[in-house]
Amino acid sequence: MPFWLRIRNIARLLFRKRPMEAELDEEMRSSLEMLVERNMLAGMSPADARRQAHLEFEGLEQVKEQVREVRVGVTIESFVQDTRYALRMLRRSPGFTVVAALTLALGIGINTAIFSVVYTVLIEPLPFERPEELAIVWSNFEKMGAPRAPGSGFELREIHDRARMFQDFAGIWAGNGTFTGEGDPEQVKVGFVTANFLQVLGARPALGRAFVSEEGGRGRPAVILSHGLWQRRFGRDANIIGRAVRFEGGNFTIVGVMPVDFQLVFPPDANVPADIQAWVPFPYDIYSMPRDLYFIRILGRLKHGVTLQQAQADADAVAHQLRSQFKEFGGENLKLVVSPLHGDAVRNVRPALVALVAGAALVLLIACVNVANLLLTRAGARRKEIALRVSLGSPRRRIIRQLLTESLVLCGVGGALGLLLGWWGVELLMSIKPDSLSRVGSAGLHPPIVAFAALISIGSAILFGLAPALESTKLNIVDTLRAAGRGNTVTPRRLRAFLVVSEITLSFILLIGAVLMIRTFERLGSVDPGFNSTRILTFEIELPGSRYESDVDRSNFIMRWEEKLKALPGVDSVGAISHLPLDDYPNWYSPYTPEGRPDGETKGLLADYRTVTPGYFASIGGRLVAGRDFDKLDQAKGRLVVIVDELLARTAWPGQNPIGKKIKAEHFVDGGFGDQWSEVVGVVRHIRHHSLSKELRGQIYIPYTQSSRTHMSFVIKTKGDPTALIQAIRRQLGEMDKDLAIAKVRPMRDYVAQASAAASFTAVLATIFAALALLLAMVGIYGVLSYSVSQRTHELGVRMALGAAPRQIVRLVVREGLVLIGIGMALGALGALGLSRYLETLLYGVTPSDPLTYLIVAGAVLAAAVAACWKPAYRASSCNPVEALRYD
Amino acid sequence: MPGSSDLLHGTLDLLILKSLSLEPMHGLGVSVRIEQVTGGVFRVRPGSLFPALHRLEQRGWISGDWRASENKRRARYYALTKAGRQQLTAEKQNWKKVSDAVTSVLEAT
Repeated sequence: MPFWLRIRNIARLLFRKRPMEAELDEEMRSSLEMLVERNMLAGMSPADARRQAHLEFEGLEQVKEQVREVRVGVTIESFVQDTRYALRMLRRSPGFTVVAALTLALGIGINTAIFSVVYTVLIEPLPFERPEELAIVWSNFEKMGAPRAPGSGFELREIHDRARMFQDFAGIWAGNGTFTGEGDPEQVKVGFVTANFLQVLGARPALGRAFVSEEGGRGRPAVILSHGLWQRRFGRDANIIGRAVRFEGGNFTIVGVMPVDFQLVFPPDANVPADIQAWVPFPYDIYSMPRDLYFIRILGRLKHGVTLQQAQADADAVAHQLRSQFKEFGGENLKLVVSPLHGDAVRNVRPALVALVAGAALVLLIACVNVANLLLTRAGARRKEIALRVSLGSPRRRIIRQLLTESLVLCGVGGALGLLLGWWGVELLMSIKPDSLSRVGSAGLHPPIVAFAALISIGSAILFGLAPALESTKLNIVDTLRAAGRGNTVTPRRLRAFLVVSEITLSFILLIGAVLMIRTFERLGSVDPGFNSTRILTFEIELPGSRYESDVDRSNFIMRWEEKLKALPGVDSVGAISHLPLDDYPNWYSPYTPEGRPDGETKGLLADYRTVTPGYFASIGGRLVAGRDFDKLDQAKGRLVVIVDELLARTAWPGQNPIGKKIKAEHFVDGGFGDQWSEVVGVVRHIRHHSLSKELRGQIYIPYTQSSRTHMSFVIKTKGDPTALIQAIRRQLGEMDKDLAIAKVRPMRDYVAQASAAASFTAVLATIFAALALLLAMVGIYGVLSYSVSQRTHELGVRMALGAAPRQIVRLVVREGLVLIGIGMALGALGALGLSRYLETLLYGVTPSDPLTYLIVAGAVLAAAVAACWKPAYRASSCNPVEALRYD
Repeated sequence: MPGSSDLLHGTLDLLILKSLSLEPMHGLGVSVRIEQVTGGVFRVRPGSLFPALHRLEQRGWISGDWRASENKRRARYYALTKAGRQQLTAEKQNWKKVSDAVTSVLEAT
């Protein structure tokens, strides 16, 4: 039965059941009526005629049932028949089947694993209500080099009042907060939000409710817990709603608990971490704060059906109004950028994932090429069988169909194995994934992923099955049957050559990608970030404003504790900083004004601000290049001093000595920000705060006594294992203030590792892909050359009989391989040059056309290919000419 | 003739194909034709006829569509397809081979 008929029958059976039933019914009835009419024509009475007709029919329903059985039977029979035949053929050559199925499983498994990551990160909609309506609204201060800045409370209200294309806006800022009361105090990540945040986001608590507007601003203190915190600290108490807890020195009412799988999804540079444990409405009136205090991450929800372009045009209009009405925004040339939440959150990981998908696809392609190769070899062996069937009148179509069925069955086996492999692969990926892929937590074999695996299995079956099927049925029967007596049949040499060349090409491209990623990772590892992370323990602490109200309270506490920490055994030195390098605590950056520069040139200068204790630079291994470090004499009431980094010194006073210069810098005094003229007393090497690969902007360091922020990270240089000190430190804190807690207790090394985790993830996967690709290509070359040698036994025997030395035979065979390898490598190099520029955003310290990389890859491919040629060549040279000739 | 519907499986298919090769007809028409042509030797009951018709249709050898019958009743008419014509030729040859063989066995002395 032709293929399309089979498909038609199956489709009818599945999808057209009802109309077919109706037709069958009508056919039976009309036949019965005709029978009645005929009987009446023959002279029977109407009643007799009907009775006779029914008798003849032997039950209308039974006949219908038989017809139904026939339909199903025919459909299944041909399917079962083909499959059974295919299985029998595959069982007959178990070696081929195992190798082919495993090769396919590898290709399909890799793709399934990568796809499940891509699916959960890039494709699956965010788990919020109508997630496509959510957008982040960034403040763009392009002139200052801050295109993705947060907004101020004032700005949030103005946008809310003026925008027309949005349903609503909300704001969030992630900080720390400490729960006290029963049990040990615990400091957690807290999302400070506008009261409408969860409504705008489109998420509901699993227990209790979201905030109401009376809880915003300085209203009733309320808190919503994460599922984790509820479970950990409150023992999953189902009656917790309405209970009061001690938080940040005040009494807060628990109004809700979020669902177990709830997780915020924000871009890394929004500094809203995924592991927020509690949500609290801003405990201050954000709308009455300074107009240019930009710290709120603004989340907008578009009106139904509004496109991003419309929303952006709307935001442009709002920004225009703000610029013309308020000098703060006009002077800074404020623009607003509307960015879809999902797309914005994954913008950093997308290029790597896309590259990995491409890599996995290449591996699958190579796997298909290998299986196609194997099938061709087998088809060669089955040539006589096929020729015989063709000559007996079997149509070519039918044979192709049968060969394709075999491929499909093979792919079914390979796909099932691949799915298992993919499942295992996902587990592996989870164990090495960087934080930026935190959503992958839920990756698994979801229906779309199984469907994907099935789809690529069928796709590859057609891909690798079609060419050999076409090739092996396109034969000259007479020639084949005549040659059948001898060993050397006509081989589809050109097709084989094409397959080998494409394998080499594809693996070459993959290897280039992998080596570029490895070199990137290695470069990142050898970056000098401006500090030394060895034997450093860090932790953060938040001093609640309610109990550490004044600057003096805070600096007394921090300084006193620093002294005590220094006294602990095993401690080398101790320092503290408001914003630890590579941490995700929201950055502090603001404009500054250097003295001695014409007014026009000092506009739009931005710096990262940090407040540090005198021991900080010594502990983190920062290097002072000029002037002096802070010391105990830099007091709150004393002369205001700052230390700047080299980058800022170069920008502010190019070619001059920065020591002694005055700079107008932002200070944090009495709970508010204000600019103060200060004197530069020292210059340090730039410390990379945001990523290992980039120097972002200049830095201004202020003594803690002169700018006492509530959030501080301690940096402790130890003599031995840094983690050994943790217990002693907690004990010490308990003695000083039993209601304080430390968090994020970890070696500095962890931050550095996390900063290169994405690069290492990509490098590890790319290397696995490339290694598999190379291995598959070797198997492919080996297979093709072995086959070619076995086909040429006769010819090689003649050559040897005529006096060719084994060495010459080896050279002959290797040369055949080398020509193909050479072509493949040349094409691969061209392809890689064309494609690798897409990797540019992922690379650090190497260019996409890095000559050394190409050299390494060319060497590796050549070595692998020659190794694969060796065995067949050796076998050819060591065969006995007498035996070889006897084959004839 | 009782028991006459116990036809060989393949034989019924051959008879149906042959009947339809002359002109398209409905199910009952096929059975009437077979009865007439064989002089009443074969009477195909609906219980065998309709499953056979549908089997042949599934295999793509005949195709059915609705038409008005001689006495203005809507009936499902079957016609031979191209594949069905080929199948008929093949089955005819096969039948001839088999019947020749059987005949030669029976006539062997």
